[in-house]
Amino acid sequence: MRSWDNDGFATTGTSARAVIERAQTSWLLVPGVVLVASVFLAPFLLLFAMSFWSQPEGTLLVDPSPTLGNYQRIFSDGFYLRGLMRTLWLSVATVLISLILGFPVAYWIVRRARRLRRLVTALMLLPIVCGALLPTLGLVNLLSPLGIINGSLRSLGVIDRAIPLLGTQFGILIGLVQAFLPLMVLPLVAVLDQVPRSLEDAAMSLGARPAQVWRRVVVPLAARGALAGSVLVFCAALTSFVTPQILGQGKIATFAAMTWQQASLVLDWPFAASLAMVMLMLIGALGVSVAVLRRSLGQRL
Amino acid sequence: MSRFALPAFTALVVLFTIAPLLVLMFSSFDDGRFFRFPPRDFSLRWYHAAFASVEYRSSLLNSAVVGLIATGISVTFGSAAALGLLRGAARSRATLEMILVAPLTLPLVIWAIALLQIYAWLGIGGTLWGLVLAHATFTLPFSVRVMLATFASIDPGLELAARSLGARPWRAFARITLPLALPGLATSAALSFFISFNDVIVSTFIAGSSWITFPVRLYSQLRGQGIDPTTMAIGTMIIVSILIVVGLTELFNRRTLRA
Repeated sequence: MRSWDNDGFATTGTSARAVIERAQTSWLLVPGVVLVASVFLAPFLLLFAMSFWSQPEGTLLVDPSPTLGNYQRIFSDGFYLRGLMRTLWLSVATVLISLILGFPVAYWIVRRARRLRRLVTALMLLPIVCGALLPTLGLVNLLSPLGIINGSLRSLGVIDRAIPLLGTQFGILIGLVQAFLPLMVLPLVAVLDQVPRSLEDAAMSLGARPAQVWRRVVVPLAARGALAGSVLVFCAALTSFVTPQILGQGKIATFAAMTWQQASLVLDWPFAASLAMVMLMLIGALGVSVAVLRRSLGQRL
Repeated sequence: MSRFALPAFTALVVLFTIAPLLVLMFSSFDDGRFFRFPPRDFSLRWYHAAFASVEYRSSLLNSAVVGLIATGISVTFGSAAALGLLRGAARSRATLEMILVAPLTLPLVIWAIALLQIYAWLGIGGTLWGLVLAHATFTLPFSVRVMLATFASIDPGLELAARSLGARPWRAFARITLPLALPGLATSAALSFFISFNDVIVSTFIAGSSWITFPVRLYSQLRGQGIDPTTMAIGTMIIVSILIVVGLTELFNRRTLRA
């Protein structure tokens, strides 16, 4: 499909009228930008302030005099630190597995899919459109002691006692990879789409074997997409709480689930805000390191 | 590596991605109170229960109302913003686009915790409008993205031609660009609606007790009592409606492109 350079919208006239019209068209941005800036971005500032407030135990009244108490509690209480470590390892594992599973899929979509491309892309988008709960509901029936995996293995005579999948970190990992794999595949597809096939053909014609073409041509060129996808998957896994809570059967507390608990059950909003700020700072640190990494990648390519 | 290794691997991964939805659809036909594999009996028992249940109907209706209003706002604001970005004179285009798609890049859970406090101050926690405002905001990036791609694929020369023949600017837009943008509008509406309809992450924080949406209800039920098979029948019907709408949008897309 052809893409029109809309810079050219008023190219037929650089007249005063065209200039005025372009300025007027800019006003169309106002409702959307105001909505996101006020409803989405402004609350993050409040979150920062709120994380320094406190809530005396046993009350629901907030004391807005600034204190570092919430942060001290997070970093001195083993419960939260262990939760953070567990969540970090689950998120890193999710990223690595998604990368291994997602890369060949993205490559296939870009190079081989042809007519199936739209169908496969739509199927990969389906879990996003279905939200966090419907897939989780299916996963419970897949992983439960009487579920599809254990049931099939039992009727095949492979096992006689159910393998515990629900309520384990492995079960949660399956759920996280399933939910966030599309976030890895889509950026990879976008980047690989821009790599001309002729580069691979050229490498082949110069005598490279298929494995070498992969390692020396395709993988380095797709690194940007892999990086973008990894950040998306990591952030999503780090902050996910619905999937871990249901698949972990409430036995394995992830950091975001602890945050949800403080906000929705304990109703200690300032403390929930500081837990959320810790996640936000981790994401910020990741963002900065990725920007640095990108720059060095950019110099090499 | 054989020729079939890559397609086979891809098929397995795609299957893995949609497996939970397939399992959900399959298990909704199991007759038992607790799903077990292999099932003993198949029946439409839980579908009858779904249609008879008043308690689920009200939460489904809540989800639909929130979804419809939020979609209206998301598509209108999103299309306007996309046009403004493409055809306007704003200099900081990249920054403005980054602001518009921010809800896609920053985690919604973190935002929802701040929103909880703000809604409490404003007194709109647990109200329809509180939910609509939040849902319109986090679905907006999808509309912006889809409409940017849609408007970018429409030749602005067509509209200019209509105007050079004497059509007023608004009329030229309504008669030329708008009809060509219809498939994009349909896609952004479908995306916004279903993402809003199925949202649990933001809604579980701000839904309160009077405007409980279906996912919020399902989530608290799953944590407390486990799975009610009726919800699997409802879930299956939601997935089937998504597939139907996606299919129709795709057909519509093809017809418009050919015309």
